[in-house]
Amino acid sequence: MSPRLKRTGFIALFSLPTFLFFCFFTLYPILKGVQYSFYDWSGRSQKMDFIGFDNFKELLSDPIIWTAIGNDYFLVVGKVIGIMLLATFFALSVTRLKVKGKSIFRAIFFIPNVISVVVIGVLFRYIYNPNLGFINSFLSLFTENPVQIQWLGSEKLAMWSLLWPSIWAGIGFYMILLIAAILSIPAELYEAAELDGATQNQQFWKLSLPLIWEQIKVSALHITMTTLNGSFIIVWIMTEGGPDNSTQVMGSYLYQMGFRQFHMGYAAAIGVLILILSLITTMALQKLLHRNTIELA
Amino acid sequence: MFSKQHPIPRVIIYFILLLWTAAVVYPLIWTGLSSLKNNQQFMLDKPWSLPNLPLLWTNYSYVWTKYGFGTFFKNSIIVTAASIVISIFLASTSAYILGRFTFKLNKPLYNLYLSSMMIPMILGLIPLFFLLNDLGLINSLTGLIIAYSANVLPFGIFILVSFFKTLPKELEEAAYMDGAGYTRTFFSVMLPLAKSGLVSVAIMNGLTVWNEYIMGTVFTNKAAMYTLPVGMAVMQTEMQYRTEWGPLFAGLFLSIIPILILYIIFQRQIAEGVVAGAIK
Repeated sequence: MSPRLKRTGFIALFSLPTFLFFCFFTLYPILKGVQYSFYDWSGRSQKMDFIGFDNFKELLSDPIIWTAIGNDYFLVVGKVIGIMLLATFFALSVTRLKVKGKSIFRAIFFIPNVISVVVIGVLFRYIYNPNLGFINSFLSLFTENPVQIQWLGSEKLAMWSLLWPSIWAGIGFYMILLIAAILSIPAELYEAAELDGATQNQQFWKLSLPLIWEQIKVSALHITMTTLNGSFIIVWIMTEGGPDNSTQVMGSYLYQMGFRQFHMGYAAAIGVLILILSLITTMALQKLLHRNTIELA
Repeated sequence: MFSKQHPIPRVIIYFILLLWTAAVVYPLIWTGLSSLKNNQQFMLDKPWSLPNLPLLWTNYSYVWTKYGFGTFFKNSIIVTAASIVISIFLASTSAYILGRFTFKLNKPLYNLYLSSMMIPMILGLIPLFFLLNDLGLINSLTGLIIAYSANVLPFGIFILVSFFKTLPKELEEAAYMDGAGYTRTFFSVMLPLAKSGLVSVAIMNGLTVWNEYIMGTVFTNKAAMYTLPVGMAVMQTEMQYRTEWGPLFAGLFLSIIPILILYIIFQRQIAEGVVAGAIK
């Protein structure tokens, strides 16, 4: 065998199994999902009717999907702001601000990230439980009458109640990323800043923040994408989209339409909508957060 | 108050850090304490009261045997271990090619894997269900293993390509000089060198698979095939109606403890895995 053929053979031998596996179990389902969105199909029968864009038209006039989109973006905005502020503060605290016990704080803050979303969801369901949970009992310590707030049962509060565990569960991951970004800033830069008499405050705004901005941007994009693509799990576990569809997000609505009400075509259309919105949003955010990143030579 | 060196007083920094520590740790402690209570204590005592003696350890044996928690554990271990092995094998072979060989299709292939990470998994969920159904792999651990391996594959390729790129050329060339073929060079020289990258990927993928819920719940509907998150979700719905709160918290605590112990052991590697995934 010629060396050239040998090389090509090796490339094929090592690439093809992965590629075929990927095509079969990732690429094919995605393309098929796009195709289903153009059909009227229950998923339980052979009967599939091509209906063009009808699913999408129906989607646009479905009030629940608009609530769902609104809730998705509520979670995106809430999580990006909440997580980035806290994670940046924590990352700075355990690096630049030199607090004692920094490795302990670091280790503890990451714990929620290793716990399954299901466990977090169930746990917070009971933390919020008006009778068993400790939130209402704790608040009752400061009031005359026992507090009876329906954290997940009231349409006004439910989304806020879902936001908190989502932030709680996400902080550690982004804190670790920001810590790495801060630690990669050469110490000499801070020494020089100190010599020039820059205060901690100035050091943060003029030095740390510009140099970790790239990481903040990447993190915000990552939060946006994972929220639009995956926030429905915590929603599904905690409220199943209720009360009265008020906490429905696109993913949970897709799940309900497809696997509870058997409108597979319609559910697939929601899937396509999620894809489109998540691509548009990440692109828009990339533009929005664009700021000349300072590259360290 | 606002000293020149520290715009935020130290006290406030420590206060916020300790507050967040409590916010993270207390729910876990609360779960542990609640898992040893009976319903009477849930109804009459404060949520933060300590469980009465004798402690109700039977809550644990109850979920373990009656609800088949042991089975969920076993399934989760099998599915996670197999998915790690398969995804590492498929990712490392392909990543080695993409990272160290130049050929026409290299870039398009890499971009294809990379862009698939941006696509919501839920879009492919319905077709994947029917595909597995046609293959007779619904309600089977094999089906779950395939779905999970495919799901975490692009991440592994992404990390390992950048890892293989950094390895020195000389070692590879030395192996060829010694007469080793491509395949042997990969398995006996390059793969061992990529060990820390492989460990990072294995841990991150392991965490993803161990905690995955949505595919698990769609692809299985028999208790004998449930993984831990799926079993936990099903269990909590039933327990809620039967008001079996003590066992419910025991189930939650049982789900948390093993992963917490592993986290304490592999803390450094997990942090490295997180960082490796973000640096492009």
